[in-house]
Amino acid sequence: MSHHHLVAGPRHAILHQLPLILAALAFLLVATMVAAVSLGSVAIPPETVWGVIANHLFPGSVEVTWSGGRDNIVWEVRLPRVILGATIGASLALVGAALQAITRNQLADPHLLGISSGAALGAVIVLLHTGMFLGLATVPLFAFGGALLTTALVVFVANFSDATDASRLVLTGVAISFVVTSLGSLGIFLGDPRAAHTVIFWMLGGLGLSQWAQLPYPLLALLCCGCYLLANARHLNAMTLGDESATTLGIPVRRFRMVVFVVCALLTGAAVAFAGVISFVGLMIPHIVRLVVGGDYRRVLPLSALVGAIFLVLADIAARTIIPPQDIPIGVITGLVGGVFFVALTRKRKPR
Amino acid sequence: MKRASTLIAPLLLAATAASVAAHPVTVTSCDREVTFDAPPSRAISNDVNLTEMMLALGLSDRMVGYTGVSEWKTLDETLRANVDQLPELSPDYPTREVLLGADADFYFAGWNYGMRVGGEVTPQSLASFGIAVYELTESCIHVMKRPKSSIEDMYADLLNLGLIFGVEDKAEALVEGYRQELADFSANLSHGEAPGVFIYDSGENKPFTAGRYAMPTALVEAAGGVNIMDDVESSWVEIGWEAVIERNPEIVVIVNYGEVSADQKIAFMKDNPAFKDIPAVRNDRFVVLEYVEATPGPRNIAAIKRLAAEFNAN
Repeated sequence: MSHHHLVAGPRHAILHQLPLILAALAFLLVATMVAAVSLGSVAIPPETVWGVIANHLFPGSVEVTWSGGRDNIVWEVRLPRVILGATIGASLALVGAALQAITRNQLADPHLLGISSGAALGAVIVLLHTGMFLGLATVPLFAFGGALLTTALVVFVANFSDATDASRLVLTGVAISFVVTSLGSLGIFLGDPRAAHTVIFWMLGGLGLSQWAQLPYPLLALLCCGCYLLANARHLNAMTLGDESATTLGIPVRRFRMVVFVVCALLTGAAVAFAGVISFVGLMIPHIVRLVVGGDYRRVLPLSALVGAIFLVLADIAARTIIPPQDIPIGVITGLVGGVFFVALTRKRKPR
Repeated sequence: MKRASTLIAPLLLAATAASVAAHPVTVTSCDREVTFDAPPSRAISNDVNLTEMMLALGLSDRMVGYTGVSEWKTLDETLRANVDQLPELSPDYPTREVLLGADADFYFAGWNYGMRVGGEVTPQSLASFGIAVYELTESCIHVMKRPKSSIEDMYADLLNLGLIFGVEDKAEALVEGYRQELADFSANLSHGEAPGVFIYDSGENKPFTAGRYAMPTALVEAAGGVNIMDDVESSWVEIGWEAVIERNPEIVVIVNYGEVSADQKIAFMKDNPAFKDIPAVRNDRFVVLEYVEATPGPRNIAAIKRLAAEFNAN
């Protein structure tokens, strides 16, 4: 296995310096997160930010010179929000990279195969029809449930119609996605129109609902699913070569494809449940990473996770500071900034 | 507004003296029981009608600002003069950061009046920050079952605010004044055939109107008419034009706010051949209510009188 050159991209000197690059990006991520906690609609000086954080970690370490409201903004609103942003960014980028490998489709992303439309349907049902009968956890639970049910449907239909090869899995996913999206639209149509604003907001994505109590779930999903994907990076490399090649390398192709698909659904479901449908990150970040370091998934996966995290935290800073005190839906920012950035990047790397 | 304040001026002194000892008080807000150990001192209200309720009770000195007005351009001269010293903290619905940044201890809002079901600002999401929420009664339909809208809903909000802020004498005097005013007015109202009324809020492709649980249904009834859409099991709701044509309203009430002016809304209805046989359009029977008159608030009484005058203008 180790002698197979499974790298589809150029062989850069960069490849041998992976730990260094990971460390640099990790540092950049922390720096971005620190900046994100300091910035927002309410201007809070950095020393106050640090004071609040220090005081919560080590009670009594700093003299309190700020109001209770400021303390809450930093500790209860911004910090969980920034951590959630980084978690979601990493999750979506990982999912995009993995799905692009198992479907061998450049345009595969977390929202292509019906996973997100299922989550959105779950949210629509709660927000417009049943109400929050389980309290604050209702929407995330239903969104997650919707994502998993839709995934189960895609897997079932794909197996039933013997469409588990790469291209037909995409077609099945897209078909189911259309059906589920229509059901979601019907749910919005039948619901109260002013409450429909809630759903629209949710479908554009945002990090405004973040709180400490909910953070463990998306973090746990990222940890488990991320480890699984990283451990199978070589298999993903093989999948990009085609089913025959992967089979000769001893990979149970059809089963592996379905397992990765379900793992991606878990991770996407957890992300969408807490932050709505955030587009672009899952689709483009892996491409950007591949443009720089080539196609070896042992590098693409960890770098995508870090770049995705940095990107989403930056996007959230923009969402919160462009027209204060209002939050622009983060999906709007990711689409605009990301699209332009990607076009610029592809132009630069045009073969001459 | 002005009338109300002259009416209760003599009672002011008595009210402030008697009320402080009443806390803790418990009020019902939609499907919750909320207890206040002391009157809030850093309140924020969202939207013009809710802000006006606060001002009618003379609570501006207990407020640190208001939100959710500029986005819809619904601030008129009367209100502007009254909120003069208060900042608008957010032109649209506030985020949690806005409320925390102002160190608020109280948020007067409603569902789709500054809070969205499942949104980031809800009574539950603010509770851990010590920000109590009182919800506009009309908007409770979004989170629970309710009877048809009534002018009593607006009274209930004023009385509850009175309890919360320890100005219940003032609130009771105000509401009693409204009740008396309305009773005197109704007694002189000629009871002919109740005209069918269509509430036109906005929308061209589909009209946005007031259903069974929205305040205009109660206002139209108090004025001696009937909302032709009072069987629609919703508050503010989007319907189809066919139902409007089918139900043949004799009067159209325009809710005036936002980008499209009342004249433009009237012109739209007059210019559309589909509406040419609707009695209201044929006879040019349009009444314009300002947003702040059509939503629950102190101007509802004047709105009822204006509607009644129009209904009886034959």
